[in-house]
Amino acid sequence: MNRDYEALSAFLDGETNELEARRVLRDLDQADMATLGRWQLASDTLRGHASREVPPAFNARLSAALASESKPAKRSGVMGGFARVAVAASVAAATVIGWQYWSVPGGSGAAVGTPTLAANDSAAPVSAGSGSAMAGAQTVAAEQRLTRPFGETSLVAQGVRQNSRAAATTVNTAQPRVNAMLLRHSEFTARHSSQGMMPYARLVSMDARNGAR
Amino acid sequence: MMRILALGLTLAAPLAAPVAFADSTPAQSLLEEMTEASQQLQYRGRFLYQLGGEVSTMEFSHAVIDGKQYQRLTHLDGRLVEVLQLGEEVVCLHPNGTLTRINDNDTGLLAFRDRLSSSIPEQYNVLVDGDGRVAGRPTTRMRVAPLDTHRYGYRLWVDRDSSLLLKSEMVDASGLAVERVEFVSLDLEPGLKRSDFQLPKVIAERSLETVPVPGPERVHVDAGWLPRGFEAADHDWRRVGDLRQPVTAQSYTDGLATFTLFVESVASDQVEEGVSRVGPTVAISRIQDLGERIYLMTLVGEIPQPTAERIMEAVTLRASAPSS
Repeated sequence: MNRDYEALSAFLDGETNELEARRVLRDLDQADMATLGRWQLASDTLRGHASREVPPAFNARLSAALASESKPAKRSGVMGGFARVAVAASVAAATVIGWQYWSVPGGSGAAVGTPTLAANDSAAPVSAGSGSAMAGAQTVAAEQRLTRPFGETSLVAQGVRQNSRAAATTVNTAQPRVNAMLLRHSEFTARHSSQGMMPYARLVSMDARNGAR
Repeated sequence: MMRILALGLTLAAPLAAPVAFADSTPAQSLLEEMTEASQQLQYRGRFLYQLGGEVSTMEFSHAVIDGKQYQRLTHLDGRLVEVLQLGEEVVCLHPNGTLTRINDNDTGLLAFRDRLSSSIPEQYNVLVDGDGRVAGRPTTRMRVAPLDTHRYGYRLWVDRDSSLLLKSEMVDASGLAVERVEFVSLDLEPGLKRSDFQLPKVIAERSLETVPVPGPERVHVDAGWLPRGFEAADHDWRRVGDLRQPVTAQSYTDGLATFTLFVESVASDQVEEGVSRVGPTVAISRIQDLGERIYLMTLVGEIPQPTAERIMEAVTLRASAPSS
C-alpha cells in the first residue's frame, strides 16, 4: 500500500530526486498506478494535451513481444562501429515507468491516424499521416514530454517506434563500401552544409574506430 | 575555378554572402566574420573531438597557398587517420595504410551556394548568448537553434580576436550535445608551407571515380517527403576504382544539416537492412525491389533518426532505362 499522495504528486511533477523516485516506483501498487494515471490524464487535459490511457494490457503485451524477440545479431552494424539502437534498454524503461499515454495525433485533439506513444518528439509514426498531421503530432508530443517525470520515456518511444525489421537486422558489408559512403557524404557535407571541417573530423573519428576493430 | 569550398572552421558559410545584409544583426555579422576568418586565415591547432561518448584528439592545419585552400586533419591518438584537402581534391588516409581520393569536379554547385548564401536558413534561430573562454582565449558564445525537430542545433564559441570557431557542439532536441569539437591550442602564425600538406606514403591507393555515362544500373532518387527547408543539393554516380558496382549518391541540405542517399544495385542475398547511429550520424539501409533489379538504399546523415526513417519510408526509385 502506498497512499503517500504527496510523494506521488511530487513524483508526477518531476519534483522528486532520484532516490525518492526509486522509492515511489518501488512502492507503487495497482491503486497508485490508477491514481497516477488519473492525475496525469487530468494534468494533460488541463494543459490542453490530448491524450488517452494506454490499454492496461499494453505493457504486458509489450514485454511479451520483446521477450519473444530474438537477441540482436552481433554488433557489426551499418557503419561497423555504429551503436545499435538499444531496444532492450527501452523495454526496461517501459516496465519501470509502468504507465504511458497514447497521444492523439493532430494537435487539435481530433482523432486521426494511428495512436503513437507520446513520450517524445520521435514518437510520430514514420509511415502514417499527412505532413501537417505529423507536425501537429510532433508538437503535441514535444509539449507532452515536458510534463513527463522521466528521461527514460524517450527510450520507450524509440524502442516501440522501431520496427522489428530494422531493429533485428544489420547490414553486413565490406568496409570499403562503408568508407566510400562516409567519405562521399563528408565531402558533400563539407561543400554544402557549411559545417566546415566538422564532417572531416567525424569521418576521421569513425574511420579510426573502424580501423581499430 | 572560383568555387569556394565551405571548409575551414565554419558553420555558417552561407552567411559569408557577397550580399550585404541590410539589417545585419550582431549574430549574423559575427557568423560572417567567422566564415571569412576560417577561410582566409592561416592557423594550426589541436582539438578534442567527442562523438558518441568517445573522445579523440586531432590536429588541424589550414592555409591558403596560391589562392587554393589547403587543410590537413590528423587523428593523433590510436590509429593514424588523416583527411587532406588540396584545392579541390579531398584525400582520406585510412588506418590500414590505404588512401582514397575524391575529386570534386561538379560545376553546378555555385548556384546552390549563392542561393543559400542570402540568409541564415529560416529553420534556425541564431543569437549571441554571452561570453566564454576556450583554449585560454576569450570567446563569444552563440546559439543556432532549430525551429523544428527535424534537425540538430549548435552552440558555438567564436574567438574574440581572430573570429575563428574554437568550440562547437551539435545538440539534440533535449539540449544534449551529440558531437563536440573543442580546441585546446591555437597557433595563428604557424608558417605553413605547401610541404606541410604533402601526402603520406601509402601502400595502396584508390579513387572514387565519377562514372560518366549513365548506364542501365543508374537510378533516380525521388524523395517523397523532406523536412521543410531541405533541398536536393548534388548528385553523382561513382565507383571505387573498377572493383565495385557504381553507387548513386544524392545529397540534401537545409544549409546546415545534410544527409546523403546512396543507391546501389545488389543481388538479393547479399545484404540486410538496418539502422545504426553514432553521435549525430544516422545510417539506415533499406531494400527496394523495382521488379527487374533489387536496390539497396542507404541514408547517411546528421539528422535525428525519426526524421531519417520518415524520409526513407517515402523515397522512391526510378530506373533511368529499363534493363534487359
